[in-house]
Amino acid sequence: MLFEVRGISKRFGKITALEGVAFQVQPAEVLGLIGPNGAGKSTLFECLAGVLPCDSGEIPPRETLFYVPDGICPWPGQSVRWALDFTLGFLGGDPSLRAEVIEQMDLAPVLSQRIGTLSKGQRKRVLLAIGLLTRQPALLIDEPFEGLDLRQARDIASALRVHALRGRTLFLSIHQISDAARFCDRFVLLNHGRVRGEGTVAELASLAHLATDDLEEVFLALT
Amino acid sequence: MPLRELLVKELRELTVSRSWWMLLILMGPLTGFSFLGSFRTFAEVSAGQGEALSPLIGVWAPTFSACELAAVFLLPFIAIRLVGGDRESGALKLELQQSFGTPFMVGAKAVVLLAGWTVAMLPPLSAFLLWHGYGGSLYAPELGALIFGHILNAGLTIALAAAMASLAEHHSTAAILTLSVTVGTWVVNLLGWGRYTPAAMVAEFQHGLVLLDASVIALALIFLGLGIAAIWLRLGVPQKRRVFESFALTLAVAAGIFAASFLRPSWDLSEGRRNSFSEADERALQQIHGLTIEAHLAPEDPRRADLENRALSKLRRAMPDLRVRYIAASSTGLFEQASSGYGEIWYIAGWRKEMSRATTAEAVLESIYAVAQVQPPAESDDVYRGHPLTAQPNGAALLFYGLWPAAFLACGILVQRKLK
Repeated sequence: MLFEVRGISKRFGKITALEGVAFQVQPAEVLGLIGPNGAGKSTLFECLAGVLPCDSGEIPPRETLFYVPDGICPWPGQSVRWALDFTLGFLGGDPSLRAEVIEQMDLAPVLSQRIGTLSKGQRKRVLLAIGLLTRQPALLIDEPFEGLDLRQARDIASALRVHALRGRTLFLSIHQISDAARFCDRFVLLNHGRVRGEGTVAELASLAHLATDDLEEVFLALT
Repeated sequence: MPLRELLVKELRELTVSRSWWMLLILMGPLTGFSFLGSFRTFAEVSAGQGEALSPLIGVWAPTFSACELAAVFLLPFIAIRLVGGDRESGALKLELQQSFGTPFMVGAKAVVLLAGWTVAMLPPLSAFLLWHGYGGSLYAPELGALIFGHILNAGLTIALAAAMASLAEHHSTAAILTLSVTVGTWVVNLLGWGRYTPAAMVAEFQHGLVLLDASVIALALIFLGLGIAAIWLRLGVPQKRRVFESFALTLAVAAGIFAASFLRPSWDLSEGRRNSFSEADERALQQIHGLTIEAHLAPEDPRRADLENRALSKLRRAMPDLRVRYIAASSTGLFEQASSGYGEIWYIAGWRKEMSRATTAEAVLESIYAVAQVQPPAESDDVYRGHPLTAQPNGAALLFYGLWPAAFLACGILVQRKLK
């Protein structure tokens, strides 16, 4: 086991965003965090990364994971090249991966471009590259395929798989169940801030008393 | 080295900031306007009287008022962008995952902002060279005090803007809050209530007077502002804890400020000793102990400000055990009547008393010597005569209105290209 999450709760005023969230993360697995909109997926990631305070619960140590948020546009006035170098220098990334990640994320044509001028998909690829360059054993990515077209999503999925095969744990928050089913080994199913199930598709299906390997069916049954 | 990376990053963020380049471009004309105006007035007075005001008061204080203006109305926007930009863009969520604490991050931003401010001070600093070229006199200690005062003032603005940028969700809110505080301190200063407002502090430095209490208090306020920014940029810490930490820090700094307000050392670095009595008078005053001055003057009475500025501020520095009491709490307002003794200034030494209504330094000294029965020192011929200069400011308009803006504009374009 790489780390264990225990009893994480988070409230925003009267709204309960997370309640007693607990699950385990194994080394080198691709774990999908799935759930409907508003289930608390991003909140859970932010709590795990320590960029949002949780009300209670145990979060993994800082050096265990790196979190790549969705929908941010970091350092908009700086070039992509600088952002990658800053990741290596300040965030302690692995320089030996630089060229490979640039190729995997197809960033060579935009290296000189400012991040603020990139399209949504290009920005997502820059964020993924930043995450992949870091050294923490687990990488938490919020919506890794958001803003990418089908071909890009497949290419990115292949690249992520390469990193997972090398021993990096990927914990991905994915709201598209079909994407999650295609890509992840195991799942944590979150609904209304609570974990409704954890395991492979078969284990979740068993939990839902269904005889199917269709994650969408299982998802609908459990949420 | 993460610290080096951080500093380079903040430097790059500053150099891609249009507001910083706008400040730099505007500093030339702002300085030019104030320098040329004060220069011409100084030259006219020099030609008319044969002797002139000190260059510090006649030229440098007004010239560097461009810095004060820029520090209040332009610098906050640059500081807010640099401190709040990371949070607004989401970069802070990435940066906070590094083991570096927010105090280092805020410290790096403050260092870079101060460096940026130093670059912005190049146009007014270049006026020294022009003045020297015209044959004007420069006295380094008083100019050092002036520059130090404006750097401290910029530090205060940066710290205030950093605190507001970390507390407010949006840049516009932070800007409004920052301007409210800075303009508010102006109002406080105008009402004569603020001994430690930035404007009052800058005014002392502009006169070549370095006060330890004001300097330490300014540094403490800078520490407070940056500390609050560091506390509120820690996104992963519960809000209640951040409120508690801010409160504790504010209390600690307030205690420090209270203690610092008792610090009396000061240094009059002006060439003409304009903040001090003559050395002979100071020696005579140091022989007098247990002097009390009771002034029957209301706070809003301009005579009270005169008395403070012309005499008491100098006296306090020469006589640390001097006691000053303002008796009149009432004003001479519409519905109030001043008492019969209103306007009297009593000088008390033991059982002897003297009364005067004059507020000039000479009259105050005369009363003190009389009540203390001390022989006034002989008048010295060694009086500061100033440095008159009747030159024409040739080339100054070209430098401030043309060359500086053009140079900054060209640098801006080159740097933007280089940073890609």
